[in-house]
Amino acid sequence: MIDNLRRLRRERHQEARAWKERTGGKVVGVFCCDVPEELIYAAGMLPVRLLGAHEEATEGNLHFPTNVCPYPTSCLDQALKGRYDYLDGVIVPNVCDMVRAMYGAWKLNVGIPYLYFLEVPQRIGPRGVEFFAEMLGRFRSSLEELSGNTMSDASLRQAIDVYNRNRELLRQAYDLRKTGLISGVELQEMVLSSMLMPKEAHNQLMSECLEEASQRNPAGDGVRLLVSASMLDDTDFFQLIEECGGQVVADDMPTGSRYFFHSVDSEAEPLHALAQRHLAEIPCPRKMLPGARLQYVDETMADADVQGAIIHNLKACDCHLYEYPYLREMLEAKGLPVLFFRGEETEAELETQRDDIEAFIEMIRG
Amino acid sequence: MVTSTSAKKHLATTLEVPALRKKYYAESLQQAGGRKVAWCSNGIPSEILEAMDINAVYLENYATVCAAKRLSSGFCRAGERAGFSQDVCGYARILMGHLLGGEEAPQAPYGGVAKPDFLIVNSYSCDSRMGWFGTMSRTLDLPLYVLDAPYQPQGGCMDDVNVAYTESQLEDFAAFLEEQTGMKLDRDKLREKLDLSRRSHDIQVEIFEMRKAVPSPMGAGDAYTIVWPGMYMAGTKECDEFYQRLRAEVSERIEKKVGVVPEEKFRLLWSGLPFWYNMALLNYFEEFGGVVAIENAYFRYQRSLPSQHDDPIKDMAISSTMRRPYAGDIEQRAELTRDIVRDYHVDGVVLAFNPSCRLMYVLQPELKNVLDRDGIPNVSIECDMADERTYSEGQIKTRLDAFIERMLSRRK
Amino acid sequence: MTVGGIDVGSVNTSVVVFNDGCILSQLVLGSDSTDSDPHRAIELALGAAGCDWSQLGPVVATGRGRSSVDFAQRQSSEVVCQARGALWVCPAARTVINLGGESSRVISLNGEGRVTSFVTNDKCAAGSGLFLESMAYLMEVPVAVMGTMALEAAVVEEVSSRCAVFAESEVISHIHRGVGKERILAGLHRAVADRILDLVSRVTVEPEVVVTGGVAKNVAVVKELETRLGYPVWLPPEPQVVGALGAALLARDDSGK
Repeated sequence: MIDNLRRLRRERHQEARAWKERTGGKVVGVFCCDVPEELIYAAGMLPVRLLGAHEEATEGNLHFPTNVCPYPTSCLDQALKGRYDYLDGVIVPNVCDMVRAMYGAWKLNVGIPYLYFLEVPQRIGPRGVEFFAEMLGRFRSSLEELSGNTMSDASLRQAIDVYNRNRELLRQAYDLRKTGLISGVELQEMVLSSMLMPKEAHNQLMSECLEEASQRNPAGDGVRLLVSASMLDDTDFFQLIEECGGQVVADDMPTGSRYFFHSVDSEAEPLHALAQRHLAEIPCPRKMLPGARLQYVDETMADADVQGAIIHNLKACDCHLYEYPYLREMLEAKGLPVLFFRGEETEAELETQRDDIEAFIEMIRG
Repeated sequence: MVTSTSAKKHLATTLEVPALRKKYYAESLQQAGGRKVAWCSNGIPSEILEAMDINAVYLENYATVCAAKRLSSGFCRAGERAGFSQDVCGYARILMGHLLGGEEAPQAPYGGVAKPDFLIVNSYSCDSRMGWFGTMSRTLDLPLYVLDAPYQPQGGCMDDVNVAYTESQLEDFAAFLEEQTGMKLDRDKLREKLDLSRRSHDIQVEIFEMRKAVPSPMGAGDAYTIVWPGMYMAGTKECDEFYQRLRAEVSERIEKKVGVVPEEKFRLLWSGLPFWYNMALLNYFEEFGGVVAIENAYFRYQRSLPSQHDDPIKDMAISSTMRRPYAGDIEQRAELTRDIVRDYHVDGVVLAFNPSCRLMYVLQPELKNVLDRDGIPNVSIECDMADERTYSEGQIKTRLDAFIERMLSRRK
Repeated sequence: MTVGGIDVGSVNTSVVVFNDGCILSQLVLGSDSTDSDPHRAIELALGAAGCDWSQLGPVVATGRGRSSVDFAQRQSSEVVCQARGALWVCPAARTVINLGGESSRVISLNGEGRVTSFVTNDKCAAGSGLFLESMAYLMEVPVAVMGTMALEAAVVEEVSSRCAVFAESEVISHIHRGVGKERILAGLHRAVADRILDLVSRVTVEPEVVVTGGVAKNVAVVKELETRLGYPVWLPPEPQVVGALGAALLARDDSGK
């Protein structure tokens, strides 16, 4: 069912190049869920999520130390190895020390024609949302210039509708995963491919997948797990979980539910609505709203009958690491066993993780 | 395993700081009952806190005190046992160890710090501290104010929208403080303090510029200590007078050509944070005629703007967006470094890689690349600024010795 | 029914042959010897037990190399096997600290003998058996006595690094300075205990605490652990076979007897 989506994800660079050729349009790389892709889309361009790879960052490590979150370094590494040379631009949001540092690093080392730093306020509240909306206004003008297209309010609203539709479809898939009609790996392929291809086309493919999935019988006798992660770039980790006898039925991660759980308010003024959703509603730990995040994690587990939780944080990810003790406490208070991984985005780590996941599942099965 | 500890001070004025600091902490503890106590991150403007008679404890400084007193291993371990990863900021682990460590934690220096009534963190430097303060707010169940300002990788800018936002944050901050203290902010008092701190800031800039002299009148061993009053007591007469005395002493040393070493053979820039549990390393080069003439961590290259507005909050908004030592991306850090190397007659750069100071750490490799391309000799040493368990004397001395040899052979 | 349990580790392979509530034989074989080949290891253990393959019922395999044991009925994780084995030697066990050659784990058990949580360390060498062995080699001291020697020191020479590589360089520098071996060993063992306790502190520790694995034979490490925990720990008579024992017990469950 998801073979097509998997292929689109694996061949993302070729696909982006082909899209450019076909449409004559521009492709813009994005770090992080805080960047409202709708603006890029409404300008007639293709937003693609920058993803790391499970390989040694031989080029990236020449510019960044190794004891840091490997995700941004891995993205830079991909760029330095020429895999991203079709990109017409990159958006760097102000979300954490490592991602911020990408701004300077790409400017100095990667010949990218357009590099935009998007201010994302640290203080989340009405004033922060207002300021972010103003920043999005500037962002919009800048994107118009890059694309050579003007972006009317109507086209922005239309973009929001398309994106909201995608979020809705992914939420439906999320629910189907709870009953095993869709597997963890399958939903992961759906989310990742959504981040890499034109949204309308993805909506079409999603509708077909959901149709197919609804014809299946509920399946899955794996141990039912919540996965909370700081960043998973591919399906390897979920694949591993399934091989060990686990079944992911709930998640809290940027390449998972955080990408689609909340929709943009289509009634409100578009820039403000985008600011509100991306700044104040996506419950990433960077947002300094720990109460909101824990509540969100609880919501992701509703009706999923979770038996255990795996927390996967990339090493040196400050914002996730600070909240980790509270997340763990909350999950354990619910009687859920918790397994923690400090991820390094190497190929070798998957094998040592296997041992622990097998033990965890055996432990839960009793 | 650390064998040496505090830096040798070459200036008489520097020696005033430890007493000043001890007094500050002692007073803070004594007056905890009477004045509201705020736990702050570095960069929270002390002028406004002083104008409202708030008892401010700057936690990162307290962490350096713990490290200097060789207590970091115990505190870090206690912090880690409380659930905080070894990856996170050493200062945070020390404080969390102090807060949550219980019996496992060492005895707190100065008798500990005053218990807070509320917490304040700013987004002006690193992102890491936000999580740390968030955690403390939750653990202590106390209000936290996040003082935000735009990041602006191109450096501070006077853009209307950015200034308006910064101003709104400062207004909200003042309102928060008023609510917490039950006092109204006296804007005249604040203006007075800003004027004073502007002046003492400019004196510090002058002193920094005077350090371009050959021989170096003041090295990093003194410099890392004398920044203290400006960071934590800005806006006070004491602070102002301190820097005036310091400037006079530096002036005299320049006039009499009194250097840090009798015969200056090479001058170094220390990039990154020092190792607070082993500041004596800054003096290590002196045995060989070398001096760490300048450091870039708390570098203040820019003079203050004159008062921009009658309303001190509006005034601060403009000067705040400018007055951030860590602003700017790698290109700007590189440019600043080149300027320093040129203006301070620097022969080599020591790049201190502090793994848990994410902000500084992430930029060092690229800075090294820039220095290599420019042909500026440099040496990299890695260990944490606060957690002394990461220090390996043998490894570091070996690297420094090789570098010193290189410096000495160049001078010929 | 006679059943078997085999623990194929990176440093040692251990085997337990079990029947009728008794351990019939138990062996620990170094990985560098051909005897540690799983087939061979079982054969030797059967021989020691006075039986042969035809009398052997199910075998469960555990350890890093468990998937290579083709004659095992099934594999089981080290966590579950260590816990099971520890409970058999100490029915009141609530915490198991398994200190192996290359990896360590700490396991929490509830009152019904079920594993409730665990943490593993397979990345950092500093608390492992191999590290202690390499330090013994460096200091020219037999592994078997390094712990005893450490306990003889009146003064501890601090080895405070948290990394095996740094610890090694510190030890070398102490040796060069002529510091007495006992003192260096004392510091080293304290540092090793520190690393182990970092892992231990990630779970809720409750007595009885059972220490298993080769490092459990090191009296100084055990003493340090006891001092820090504030109470004595439980040592199995043969700490290196606990995993294999647990596997054998699972095999017994599988056989229905």
